[in-house]
Amino acid sequence: MEPVTLFDLAAKQSQWLAVRQSTIAGNIANANTPGYVANDVESFDKVLDRTAVSMRTTEAGHLGGNTVNAGFRIKPQENDGVVMPSKNTVVLENELMKAGEVRRSFELNTAIVKAFHSMMMMAVKG
Amino acid sequence: MIGGISGIGSLQFKPALDGADAGVSPAQGGAASIGGSSFADLLNQAASPTLGTLQNAQQGSMQALKGDADTRQVVDAVMSAQQALQTAVAIRDKVVSAYLEISRMGI
Amino acid sequence: MDALTAALKVAASGMGVQSERLRVVSENLANAQSTGTAPGSDPYRRKTISFVSRLDQATGGSLVEVNSIARDPADFPVEFQPGNEAADEKGYVKMPNVNVLIEMADMTEANRSYEANLQVIKQARDLISMTIDLMRNQS
Repeated sequence: MEPVTLFDLAAKQSQWLAVRQSTIAGNIANANTPGYVANDVESFDKVLDRTAVSMRTTEAGHLGGNTVNAGFRIKPQENDGVVMPSKNTVVLENELMKAGEVRRSFELNTAIVKAFHSMMMMAVKG
Repeated sequence: MIGGISGIGSLQFKPALDGADAGVSPAQGGAASIGGSSFADLLNQAASPTLGTLQNAQQGSMQALKGDADTRQVVDAVMSAQQALQTAVAIRDKVVSAYLEISRMGI
Repeated sequence: MDALTAALKVAASGMGVQSERLRVVSENLANAQSTGTAPGSDPYRRKTISFVSRLDQATGGSLVEVNSIARDPADFPVEFQPGNEAADEKGYVKMPNVNVLIEMADMTEANRSYEANLQVIKQARDLISMTIDLMRNQS
């Protein structure tokens, strides 16, 4: 469903950030697992481009709120050449940095939603 | 959503202002000639930036949610919108209550 | 289960395995000097731990688990200690194949990973809290 209002867009981004957070958690938890390849979720711009084209459900369970990872695609990260002998590609510092970005974006998201919600209530009241 | 808010904020002024204007223009005539504009125009001027400010805030927020906007600018825009909206709502409430009071006055 | 709760579960599994790793390291360090009792017998053999990742079907998160705790097959170093009860006829004692420096480095790594997982748990918890706060303080 294409996000048209501000609240729709905020809801979509909040879902995306939550999926990104769980992907980062998976990377950090598996930082010492041999053969584990670090994942990341597709960028939010790609998500918006994708949902702008209407999608038809070919199989029940492909779309909808209960799908795993809310329908966002998770793919292995591009490798910038840091590979451990155990074929593990997780760099802990990068993952923690990404987690910081997620936090900042999430705070901005909830602050925007809160502000516009209070403005709506203010205008409707009285 | 912004249309809804601005509708309440600025456009609904018009009937109330015209009604109030008809009732108070003799008294306000003095002030009007000093100010060079009617009371209604003054109120309109106070309320009309609201729509632009609100749209600015909405645009900025959508950009911020997509990921590429300066945080401080967005926060400033949203705060201006909140101030403008609060002002507009306060004016609306005052004008409505003034109109009601006038309409209750004996002729 | 939504993604943030899944993140909590994944990070908790990460903390669990790092604690296991620390346990193995502390066992190795404690037994770094544990020789055998009979002459010529083998001493303590260093333990190693390995992890494996498991995909949780319900949430889509990559949990991590302990794969196995195995023994390091490296040879035992020998020291010349004729008075030791485990000394063979030439007076050499087989010592555990534990290198204290390696174990200390492993411990530091385990601590770092543990801290990182803890950060993830704190952050996921804070994000959930922020979402719930949206509803609060409605005047």
